[in-house]
Amino acid sequence: MSDTPAPNSSPAAAGEAAQIIDRGYRSYDGPRTGLPGSIRSVVRYSVRHTLGLGRAARHKILPWLAVVIALVPAVVFVGLAVVLDIDMIEDEILPDYHEYYGFITTALFFYCAIIVPDILVADRRNGMLQLYLSTPLQRWSYLASKALAVAAALAVLTMGPVLFLLVARTIEGSGPDGLIEWIKIFVRIIAAGGAISAAFTMASLAAASLTDRRLFATIGVVVLLWGSSFTTLALVEAADMSAQVYAFDLGGIADELKNRIYGVEGLDPFGAPEAREEDAFQPGAGREQLSTRFVVAANFAWVALGSAVVWWRYRRLALSR
Amino acid sequence: MRPYDPRVTIVETQALTQRFGSTVALDALDLQMQPGVTGLVGANGAGKTTLLNAMLGLRIPTSGSLTVLGYDPQRAGHRLRANVGFAPERNVLPDEMRAVDFVRHLSEVQGLPRGEARNRASDTLWLVGLGEERLRTLGTMSTGQRQRVKLAQAIASDPKLVLLDEPTDGLDPVQRSEMLTLIGQISRDFSINVVLSSHQLEEVERVCDNIVALDAGRLVACGPISDLIGAGDGITLELVDVAEPAGSVDAVEAALQAGGIDVRRHEATLALRGAAFEELCDRSRDAVAAAGARIRRLETRRRTLEDLFEDAAR
Repeated sequence: MSDTPAPNSSPAAAGEAAQIIDRGYRSYDGPRTGLPGSIRSVVRYSVRHTLGLGRAARHKILPWLAVVIALVPAVVFVGLAVVLDIDMIEDEILPDYHEYYGFITTALFFYCAIIVPDILVADRRNGMLQLYLSTPLQRWSYLASKALAVAAALAVLTMGPVLFLLVARTIEGSGPDGLIEWIKIFVRIIAAGGAISAAFTMASLAAASLTDRRLFATIGVVVLLWGSSFTTLALVEAADMSAQVYAFDLGGIADELKNRIYGVEGLDPFGAPEAREEDAFQPGAGREQLSTRFVVAANFAWVALGSAVVWWRYRRLALSR
Repeated sequence: MRPYDPRVTIVETQALTQRFGSTVALDALDLQMQPGVTGLVGANGAGKTTLLNAMLGLRIPTSGSLTVLGYDPQRAGHRLRANVGFAPERNVLPDEMRAVDFVRHLSEVQGLPRGEARNRASDTLWLVGLGEERLRTLGTMSTGQRQRVKLAQAIASDPKLVLLDEPTDGLDPVQRSEMLTLIGQISRDFSINVVLSSHQLEEVERVCDNIVALDAGRLVACGPISDLIGAGDGITLELVDVAEPAGSVDAVEAALQAGGIDVRRHEATLALRGAAFEELCDRSRDAVAAAGARIRRLETRRRTLEDLFEDAAR
């Protein structure tokens, strides 16, 4: 054996390396984060909750299924183009940015109907709402936190896949020409994703605020999304009412705003306007007659209406007797 | 309203009234709560939870004024609540969440920075005896453990005041005793003021420094518990209900009442008040002798919280 002591074997060295593990409960005089910290924490927790992070495996299935629905087509398109070594644009392997929203809308509807209601309903059912409101959070800041969380989760769906396409095209060499064009597309992706997320967030939260049962909230979201679409379509196409009735079609009017942001005239995300036949039935085709100002106002109205319903419901909500 | 002095007053109300339609949940309460552990006692429906909710700013009182730690809960609720921990009566624990994550999350919401919230969540769970259980999900915990988790989340952010709504609800006697010890320790060792809502009078007597007693929304008593209960208050006279002469206990009761003594009878035991100790003893002796009854027990009586409520009911 060597006589040389091993490094850090002296009591002094051991003392320097030692840490107090059990500090025990003690008073706290340090800084506090205040209301912004409270909101950040609820947003972070709620995003994790809706995505099933930190929860049992069964809670992860549905949210990640929605992500898969939104993202996998983009991955497949890019993968095919790379593996087969073909020109994405020339061979029309990849849909254009605005054309990809068909996949996103499916995932969005699914997410809003199945996942989003839980974010409000669970807090009311298990009493967490009362606990939250016994902290610096107020009703408005609690609701704002929840809305931010839902919007952030929906933004993953509305922006993530299209941003992936943008990056893939850029790497592949078929992306926008020059930095300015690239930034334009990037801003459009963010703006369109943000607008769609905002409208869907407030509409689905409004439905969730009206009931303490998840199933009823899901039915409410389904009626709101699909019902409004079918009803307005019937009113315009069959009853020959004004195209402005499409303002009541949440999915359609949000999609139309997306088209306006991308500067696309047509409404069918999978068909170019010039490809349409004059006599062919085009669901929602009348929306293109609406002015951009009207489309923007209609989307704002959906956000405002959803916010008003949620606030009306929570303003006087009795927490306990 | 007087300036807040934490050495004197934690909570102060003036004519605080809360109505729900035709029901009066709080009826013109005028009270002050001093530092330490305050027991908020009363039967179910007495208005305890309503008062706690008003103290948190979760309810707008119909009329009157209320200050907690010097704040008006309606005007400065968010600033007040940053200094107050709350453990509600309801089962509010999300089943799939781990205890340490739950406490950490609510500490962050209460205003602690993330790192500090993480450390204090563990420290607090160790304090309440759940150190080894902190990584378990809440849904797998017993009622007693879940009550401790609720207590932990209420104190983790080191508040100035903790409101505990029926913290011993659903606990067995051993767990209840441990919980009360813990509550006393929190106030004594960490200088956290506690308002403990309970309908169990004996547990309030055991752990509280002050009491606020409510009955159907009205204030029955308010002040240091040592001033309100515990002092000698008459005598307890337990008789043997002999067969001959029959009705001897009834005769003793009647004789004492006729002499102006306040008599409360439970079977053969009489609680006597309304005169000096010596006089009560003398009159009892005379009444027992006249009725031919026999005494099993005679002792000084200690005033209890029950007496407060019985006096209020009269």
